[in-house]
Amino acid sequence: MSNSNQLHEDLVQIVGEAGLLPDNQLNRYAIDGIGPQAVVLPASTHEIQEVLGYAADNELSVIPAGSGTKLGIGVPPEEVDLILSTSRLDQILEYEPADLTVTVEAGIRLAVLQAKLTEHGQYFSLDPPYADRCTIGGITATNASGPSRLRFGSARDLVLGMRVVQSSGTVVKSGGKVVKNVAGYDLNKLYLGSFGTLGVITEVSLKLQPLPEIERNILLTFADVGEAVNTASEISGSQLLPTFLNLFINGAPLTDSPEPCLLMGLDGHPETVEWQIDSVKTIAQQNEAVGVGVYQGQRQQELRGSMCTFPEDGSATPIVICRANLRRTDVGDFLNTVLEMNDSSSWRVRAMGLMGNGVVYVIFSDFPDSEGPVEHVADAIANLRDAAANVGGNLIIESAPTALKRQIDVWGPVGGSFELMKAIKTKFDPVGLLNVGRFVGGI
Amino acid sequence: MGSLAHNAPIVFTFHALRFTHEVYPMKENDPLISELANIVGSEHVITDSTSLSVYECDGATVFKALPDVVVFPTTPQEISAIVKLANKHNVPFVARGAGTGLSGGMLTVNGGIIIALNRMNRILEIDIANQQAVVEPGVVNLWLTQAVQDDGYYYAPDPSSQQACSIGGNIAENSGGPHTLKYGVTSNHVLGLEVVLTDGEIVEFGGAVEETPGYDIRGVMIGSEGTFGIVTKATVRLLRKPEGYQTLLGIFETIDDASNVVSSIIAKGIIPAALEMMDHFVIKAVEEAFHWGFPLDAGAVLIVELDGIKAGMQSQAEQITEIFNENNCRETRYAKDEEDRQQIWKSRKSAFGSFGRLAPNYITQDGVVPRTQLPKVLRRIAEISEKYDIPIANVFHAGDGNIHPIVLFDERDADQCERVEAVNMEILRACAEAGGTITGEHGIGVEKMDYMPLIFNPQDLAVMATVKDIFNPSGLCNPGKIFPTAESYAKLGL
Repeated sequence: MSNSNQLHEDLVQIVGEAGLLPDNQLNRYAIDGIGPQAVVLPASTHEIQEVLGYAADNELSVIPAGSGTKLGIGVPPEEVDLILSTSRLDQILEYEPADLTVTVEAGIRLAVLQAKLTEHGQYFSLDPPYADRCTIGGITATNASGPSRLRFGSARDLVLGMRVVQSSGTVVKSGGKVVKNVAGYDLNKLYLGSFGTLGVITEVSLKLQPLPEIERNILLTFADVGEAVNTASEISGSQLLPTFLNLFINGAPLTDSPEPCLLMGLDGHPETVEWQIDSVKTIAQQNEAVGVGVYQGQRQQELRGSMCTFPEDGSATPIVICRANLRRTDVGDFLNTVLEMNDSSSWRVRAMGLMGNGVVYVIFSDFPDSEGPVEHVADAIANLRDAAANVGGNLIIESAPTALKRQIDVWGPVGGSFELMKAIKTKFDPVGLLNVGRFVGGI
Repeated sequence: MGSLAHNAPIVFTFHALRFTHEVYPMKENDPLISELANIVGSEHVITDSTSLSVYECDGATVFKALPDVVVFPTTPQEISAIVKLANKHNVPFVARGAGTGLSGGMLTVNGGIIIALNRMNRILEIDIANQQAVVEPGVVNLWLTQAVQDDGYYYAPDPSSQQACSIGGNIAENSGGPHTLKYGVTSNHVLGLEVVLTDGEIVEFGGAVEETPGYDIRGVMIGSEGTFGIVTKATVRLLRKPEGYQTLLGIFETIDDASNVVSSIIAKGIIPAALEMMDHFVIKAVEEAFHWGFPLDAGAVLIVELDGIKAGMQSQAEQITEIFNENNCRETRYAKDEEDRQQIWKSRKSAFGSFGRLAPNYITQDGVVPRTQLPKVLRRIAEISEKYDIPIANVFHAGDGNIHPIVLFDERDADQCERVEAVNMEILRACAEAGGTITGEHGIGVEKMDYMPLIFNPQDLAVMATVKDIFNPSGLCNPGKIFPTAESYAKLGL
C-alpha cells in the first residue's frame, strides 16, 4: 500500500491532483478485469514527457489512451501499471475552414470536433464505433473507422500529420498540415493503428469534407442473403457513389430483425441523390428486394446511428466482436458461413458487412451461460479466421471475455513482415514502456 | 545544390565523401559484372559508358551521376540475387523505373548498380469484380488505365508524365497528379506490395484486402524513395470511370481573382476532381508554342473539372460559372465533348513542353501551401523572381495548394546558378513559413535534401533515420538521398 501511496504522491507532483483519476474510478479503465495502478491525465505535452520519464525510471509500463473505448483491444495484459489518457489535451489548435483541414490536440472528442466543424458546414468523415465518446487520438492510434470509409477512406487517407511523444520523451512530428506532402518518410502510417506501442499521439492534422446538401438512407430488405449480396455487388460496380453500403445478417439496424437487409447512404447534391435513389430502386426490384424504404431526417439519423454503433460492446452480458478483412467478392460466402454458424450454435451470431470495403463485423452473443462456452466459441472463431485466411483475408478479435482471449490470439498470424515490425517496436521503444505485449505477435 | 554551377560528376563529389561506405572501385572486367551477367544474362547488363549515360539522371536533368553498371532483371528472385551480390561486394544499388522522376531520386551518387525495372512490365492480374489489379513495377502508369478502360475502369493517380512513368516509380515517390485533389495520391491506391528488402529477402506487405494486422509497413514503404527496398509487385485499386465530366476553363485578369475562385468553390462545398492554374508567364509560353487561343495579357487561366454522376453536375457547373463571373472572369470555355476536354487538358499538360523555348534549363519546384495562402505565396514568389532577376513561371494544382514554380535559367552561367539556388531556398522557405511543405509529389531525392530542415527538426529527422536504419542497415540501397547534411544546415543558416 505504501508503494501505491508513493506512486500517487509522485504522480501528483507531475500532473497535479486534477491530472490523476480518483482511485474509486480506476475500474472504468480496467483491461480484462485488471485495474491500473493509476490513470494519469496530463494537461500538457510536457507533463506527458515527465510521466513517461517517471515510468521509465520506475520500470512501470504505460498504456496510452484517449477516452478508453478501445483499451480492451489486444492481448490480455499480465498487469496494468499506468494508463496515460490524453483526454485533457482537447483543444482545436488550427482551423481555417477554407483550407478544409484542422489541427487538433489528440484528446478532443470526435463529437466535440464535429459540433465545431458543423458551424462551418464541414465535418470529419470518419464515423467509428463509440463516436460519442472516442477521441481523435484514440481513433488514429487504433485506426478506427466506420461505414463512411467507403466514400472517403479510412484514417490512413485522412490524417495529414501528427505530433508524437516517443517513449524517450522526445516530441517528434510526422507529415504536415497540408493535404499533399511527400517530404521524407510517411511515418503517419506507422503510428496509425499502432495501438500506442510506438508513442503517445498528442496532435493530429486532419482532412475535412464539406457537409452534404442532403442526406438520404435507403434500407432494402431481402428474403435471402444471396440476393442482398448480389444487389450490393451490382451497386458497387455501378456509377452510384454511396457513402456507405452495409449488409446486415441476423440483426437489422433499429429493428434487430433477422432478415438480411442492405443499408445505403446517399449524400450530396439533391439532383445527384435523387437520381441515385431511382437507380437503387430499379436495381432492388431486379434483385427481388422485398422491402424498399427511403429515409431522411430523424429516422435517417437513427438508422445511421444504429449502424455505426453495431460493432460496439455495450452489452451487460458477454459478447464477442470480430472484424474480418476480405476481398469484397469473398464477403458473400463468408456471410453464409456466419449464417450457418448461427443456425448450428446455441448462441446468436450476427454480422454487418461493409460491402464495398470487404470488412465484416461478426458478433457472437446470447451465450447459454453467463461466461459463455469459451472453448466452443474459440473453435467457431478459429473456423471463421480460417475461412477468411483461405481467401487471403484475416480476422481480428476486437472484444471478447478475457478467458476467450487467452484461448485464441486476438490478432491472428502476421506473416513475413513480423520481423520488421518487431525491429520497429524495439527501436521506437527500446525499454519496453508502451502498451507492451498486447499488440501483434506479443509486440 | 550549390554545385549546380559545376559540371555533372562534380555535383556529387562531396556526397560521395560523406557516404560512410567505401565506394566500390569498379575495375575493367570486374568479376562483379560477370556475376551480374550470371544472374540476368549478359545481354541484360550495360557497362559501356555511352549506354550508361542514359542512366545518369532522371527528369531533373541538372543532377547527374554515372552508374557503374545497369542490370535488367525480370523476377524478384533475380533482384534478390543482385541485392545479395551488392551486399557481398559492398556496392550501392538503386532501383529505377522510367527515369521520369523530378528530384534525382534514382541517381547513383556513389556509383554502383542501377537495377532497371523496365523489363518487369507485365500486368499480372486484373480483377474487375474486386476493383484491383496486380502489376509489376515497370508497368507504365497509363498502360493500366488502357488495359481496364473497356471495362469502364481506370487507375486514378495521374502524374503529368503518366504516358512514360512507371507504377514502381510512382510508389517510390508516392506520386500525385492533377486529380489528387479528389482522389488522393498513390498511397491511397495501393493495397499490397511485394518487396525485395535490402538484404535480398522477398516479403509481402498488405495484400488484396484493405487492412492487415500489425504496423502498416506498406504505407511506410510507399514514398520511401527507393531507400527501403525494391518493389517487385503491387496490388493497386481500380476506380470506376466517372459517368460524366464537366470541364471549364476560365481566363482571369489576375492570379488573385483566380485564387479567390478556388477558395469560393471549396467554400460552396464543391470538391472538383481537379483545379489547375497557370499564371501569365505560362499562358504566354504555352500560347506562343501551341496556339491554344489564350489572350497573351491574361493574368491566370483556371481549369476546373467536375466528375462523377451526370445528374446534378450541370447545376454545379453553373454555380462555378457564377463564381467565375463574380471574380472578373474574362472568358469561360466549356468542354462540349470528350475531344474538347482532352484539348483543355493538353493545354495544361503541354505547359512543361513549352519552357524549353524560354531557357536552356529549368527546375520545377513542388511546394505545398494551405489553399488560403496561395495568393500571398504567389506574390512572394514574384518578389523573389524580381529580387534575383530569375524568371519564374507558375503552373500548379491550385485545389490542393501544390505549386510548381518553374525556375528558368542557363546552367552554363555560374552566376545565374548561384542565384537559382537562392531562389529555390527562398521559395521553399516561403512555403514552409506559410504552414506548408517543400514537396507535394516529386519527392526529396538529392534535389531538396538541403531544405528538409525547413520543415523537420533534427529530432523529427532522427526518427526517419531510425526507420531507414531498420529497413536499410547497410545504407547500400539508394544512398545519399532525403537526409540533410551538416552543409545543408549551414546553407540554411541553421
